Amino acid sequence: MKQFNHEVIFCIVNSGFSESAMDAAKEYGARGGTVFRARGTANLEAEKLLNIIIQPEKEVVMILVDSTIRDDILHALYRAVGLNTPGQGIAFSLPVDNVIGISSPEEPKTEE
Amino acid sequence: MKNENSAENMTEQAKKKEKAAPVKKKATQTRKPMPPKLELLFTIVNRDKADVFTALLESFDINLQLVVAAEGTATTEMLRYLGYSDNKKAVIISVIRKDRVEAAMNFLNEKFKTIKNGKGIAYTVPMTGTIGVAIYQFLINSNK
Repeated sequence: MKQFNHEVIFCIVNSGFSESAMDAAKEYGARGGTVFRARGTANLEAEKLLNIIIQPEKEVVMILVDSTIRDDILHALYRAVGLNTPGQGIAFSLPVDNVIGISSPEEPKTEE
Repeated sequence: MKNENSAENMTEQAKKKEKAAPVKKKATQTRKPMPPKLELLFTIVNRDKADVFTALLESFDINLQLVVAAEGTATTEMLRYLGYSDNKKAVIISVIRKDRVEAAMNFLNEKFKTIKNGKGIAYTVPMTGTIGVAIYQFLINSNK
């Protein structure tokens, strides 16, 4: 088991905007992600007060990235699918302790 | 006489030391071990292998697992056109004791290589809090 400095980015966007989120993340070095569906539960009173409609169908994009490119990707996600865009996305990152299954750039490829 | 006295003193001191020693031992024995910390183990595998991995992970004192159907995004455009892409994934979220993480990760690393079509990624995220003693004991699998 190798220990790297990785972080996992969770980006919650309206349904249909996961590809836009992935495209933005890939521009800054993300290699892949995992998407799953979810349902948002917004406060109805807040919706009325702010005069906005919150679409309940959401997609959660989970991207495991090197911590050196985390900030770039978070900024890219904010620009592409942030709250001011139709994607109405929020993104946050969590620290990751141990990672297996992804090859690091430093690791030489083994010939099979 | 002096020699005898000094010998007696020595034995008395030795006895005192022997008596003192078990008290020290008791002090170390009564110290409670720290309760184990918990981590969230995320395992992303092909969806048809989700049941295999959940069953394998149960042997690492994992009592609670959540499987979420997901899709991978790493396939190339060409593969998608050819219809070869198998982007159906499952995210297995397991609550695991921190002292079992290393063994589980080594085991998963091995299984990712040996199980056919079983390649995946796994990582752990530390948990900072939980509420309820019964739930905590359930999560750490204390009733072994």
